[in-house]
Amino acid sequence: MLLSRRSLTLLAAAGVLPVARAQAQAGRLAGREIRIGAIVPSSGPFAEWGRANAATLRMVEEQVNGAGGVEGAKLKLFIYDDAARPAQAANLVRKLADDDKVLAIAGPLTSSACEVAFPVANQAKLPAISQASSKPGTAAANRPWAFRNTIDEAVLMRSALPFLKTTYKVAKAAVIYDAKDANSVSLGTRIMPEMLAEHGIALANAGNLASFNTGDIDVSAQVTALKGLNPDAVVCAADYSQAVTVIREMRRQGFVKPVIGGTPLISSAILRAAPDMPIISTATYYAGQEGEAAKRFTDAVTPVLRRTAGLPNTIEPSMYDAHMYEIVGIYLDAVRKAGITLADADLEADRGRIRGHLEHLTSYNGLSGPIHFNPDGDAVKTYFVVVGQNGRWTEKLRGCSTAGNLTC
Amino acid sequence: MSAYTAGLLAEIGIGGIAALGVYVILATGQLSLGNAAFMAIGAYAAGWLTVTHDVGLTAAVLAGALLSGIVGVLVGFPALRLRGIYLAMATLGFGEMTRSFFLFFEPLGGAAGFSGMRQLQVSTIWIWLGIVLGVLVLLARSRLWLTLRAVNDDEVAANLIGLHATALKVGAFGMGAAISGISGALFAHWHLFIEPGNFGFERSTELVMAVILGGSTVAAGPVLGAGLLVLLPETLRFVADWRLAAFGALLILVLLVRRQGLLDRNLLRALTFRRRGAEARPEAAEVS
Repeated sequence: MLLSRRSLTLLAAAGVLPVARAQAQAGRLAGREIRIGAIVPSSGPFAEWGRANAATLRMVEEQVNGAGGVEGAKLKLFIYDDAARPAQAANLVRKLADDDKVLAIAGPLTSSACEVAFPVANQAKLPAISQASSKPGTAAANRPWAFRNTIDEAVLMRSALPFLKTTYKVAKAAVIYDAKDANSVSLGTRIMPEMLAEHGIALANAGNLASFNTGDIDVSAQVTALKGLNPDAVVCAADYSQAVTVIREMRRQGFVKPVIGGTPLISSAILRAAPDMPIISTATYYAGQEGEAAKRFTDAVTPVLRRTAGLPNTIEPSMYDAHMYEIVGIYLDAVRKAGITLADADLEADRGRIRGHLEHLTSYNGLSGPIHFNPDGDAVKTYFVVVGQNGRWTEKLRGCSTAGNLTC
Repeated sequence: MSAYTAGLLAEIGIGGIAALGVYVILATGQLSLGNAAFMAIGAYAAGWLTVTHDVGLTAAVLAGALLSGIVGVLVGFPALRLRGIYLAMATLGFGEMTRSFFLFFEPLGGAAGFSGMRQLQVSTIWIWLGIVLGVLVLLARSRLWLTLRAVNDDEVAANLIGLHATALKVGAFGMGAAISGISGALFAHWHLFIEPGNFGFERSTELVMAVILGGSTVAAGPVLGAGLLVLLPETLRFVADWRLAAFGALLILVLLVRRQGLLDRNLLRALTFRRRGAEARPEAAEVS
């Protein structure tokens, strides 16, 4: 996964990472190491996301060190696989805090893992930013050390539903959800019915929501039942790997209606499943996103991911890869600006300084604009309502998860 | 001791106790693929008691174990008509049913999970492991254990000599469930957050695997098995993406070489320098 010298120079010249600019500064931290931990699920049910995350991180490490590090200090990432198992994630936080003596952690990915890993981060007084957890309240329950570079699903739906309603003239929608996955259950049975009611969209199968289980390969009965209700749109609360099954079946039955779901719907696999069916989702980054920073990231990381063993050679970077990239960027921003010394004796103080920097983050520009953290530890950043059709995602709306006077 | 080591020790303790629950049930020849459900019952009951009723930890753990044991007895009765693979399937169904119940039971958090517990010390987990292991080691020397093994070896013959096989089997099921309940209660107070996904089919099979790997004839076996199930994936990190494949290969290797599990009576005696294994030797002589 070596980047060519030319591409490194290009990246540095274009200022992909602010660190490239730091090269010129005097080496205040020369000879020191910036130790940052990452917890990604490289095996288990989210292996594709985890492996892509790991490859993205290694690319960042190479870019940063190739450009001379940050104020002379080299970036050293400790990337561990938690197999999407909460207990392993919790133990890895302990390992990273005590054995590897990292400054901060990127991860874990799933909300289930965050629920048990964040309390450990709090005990260890170690900043942790999740790249993907979007279950309502997970970071808020574990302040002050837990953060998420994501936006609450409920906030995102408040933009996506009005768009769905007006664009596709939706008066009635039906819900189908993955009953084995806790996040999908809370989205399908709680958040979405409330949101639909809030936006004046009737729930066609109220009291009798359709469900299936993770790994089911035949959902024809459920889809037939949904089709019988003749809704104007279908809410699919599941991650993309499961939603693909539902969408393929809908298409097979000639039941072509707009499908709306949460952020876990975004993937290239969904686009391939039914190119003619509009998929409405929300995202804070998507492959094909316009804008200089996003384009540079996409161009740099896509070939790296496609070269990585264990990943499909048509893969496109996911929102979570972009979040990982931003998380490391945010930590490096803190190293530069928060008076971090990187001395062994100052480890605890450095961790505290990073946390303080995150709480009042004002100066960091992510792939779609500035990122701040609200008092719940969740990101205040730009998001998009996107429609996936004919093999690509198209941006339809742009919003900001504004909190108080924090805005994008 | 680093916090990481402490975390691994806690996992081993919790897994070890839960595996002992499977071991007791297995001692009567019944295979349970639903013990994670008993953990769930113990975890939710104890968590609910300490969080909403401010009950002390020990009392909550005992209450969780009791409730789990009662459910175990109730499940044990219908399971009596089933044997072998059919019993395994029935317990699997019970496990999934319990998981789904907690997924949709809103008063205990449902899909969002349940939290608010106060964290216990690793030493507390190991004290509980010590108590459970101690009780089972004492039990293994008792007449009751002999009768349990008799039911395992030949249920009809056990009935004919006047043993109450039904009571023994249901009793073992209840005891195994109660022990798993203790493990669940400790799990809830170690991880501080529980959700139905923690107690799925995967965990149930892991518990059975710990017993088979560590040894199903001595109580120390399941604890050793649970230890390996926690430590092996951790120590195999250097093989990166192949970690779980390497772990599976090691498991198959162990089962090929030692079908009875790593620990058995003979090995345990050799390890503890006790020379009372006289009855084992003539057997060995016969074979050779």
